[in-house]
Amino acid sequence: MSAFEIDPKLDLRLERVVDVEPALVWACWTQPEHIVKWFTPSPWRTKSVEIDLRPGGRFNSVMLSPEGQEFPNLGCLLEVVPQRRLVFTDTLLEGFRPSGKPFFSAVVEIEPEGAGATRYIATAIHGSEESRQQHEAMGFHNGWGAALDQLVALARTLSA
Amino acid sequence: MDDVFRALADPTRRRVVEALCQQPASVSELAAPFKMALSSFVEHLKVLEGCGLVSSTKTGRVRTYRLAPGRLREAEDWLGQQRRIWEQRLDQLDAYLMKLKAAQKESGT
Repeated sequence: MSAFEIDPKLDLRLERVVDVEPALVWACWTQPEHIVKWFTPSPWRTKSVEIDLRPGGRFNSVMLSPEGQEFPNLGCLLEVVPQRRLVFTDTLLEGFRPSGKPFFSAVVEIEPEGAGATRYIATAIHGSEESRQQHEAMGFHNGWGAALDQLVALARTLSA
Repeated sequence: MDDVFRALADPTRRRVVEALCQQPASVSELAAPFKMALSSFVEHLKVLEGCGLVSSTKTGRVRTYRLAPGRLREAEDWLGQQRRIWEQRLDQLDAYLMKLKAAQKESGT
């Protein structure tokens, strides 16, 4: 169970149980050499990650589009409880400096599940309708393109 | 939404939409990567504009196209898009975790 409520109209909560030790899950969420391997949905990639593992420490990454264009994401850590809880956001930058492009905060809660397995809950907390719309425009601009990819895939099946 | 899907069924038009996902662009910028007559290319742009996927404005002699995300949004609500990003992200994490675990076992640690 997660420790806090979410707004289902704005927020997302995903829960997973994975057959590895909590220490490994924690390492994958907090160490740049691991984060670059999985954080960005393919075919995009993570080019680099900088993380200073303490409240107020930076959590910056550079994403790479399939065409090789770079998109920096800047944020900061809010809470760091080893192997239990990681909270980060892009609403603040390193040193808690307010960000120009606030969009989300994320909470990762980790707990042992039986022998050798781990339950983790990832919650993405988003702002108001206004900040969502702002990000939406930005999202298309910075080319996540998930919606487009899906439409394109659908269009391919329709034309086949 | 059928007209949107039909518009996107064509590879040239898909590439134009993909390019406009990055930033607005003029007709000549959009046409540059394609080896086709400008008049044929402009027809593709008209199809995209006709179904509302892109919009254009003319300043002087230059017509600039930009993505009109409204039509995409109809088929793809915002939170659903975020959910897919997170689902894929966590799928990648879980696959990576299992790979690490297998590697640890192999090295006997």
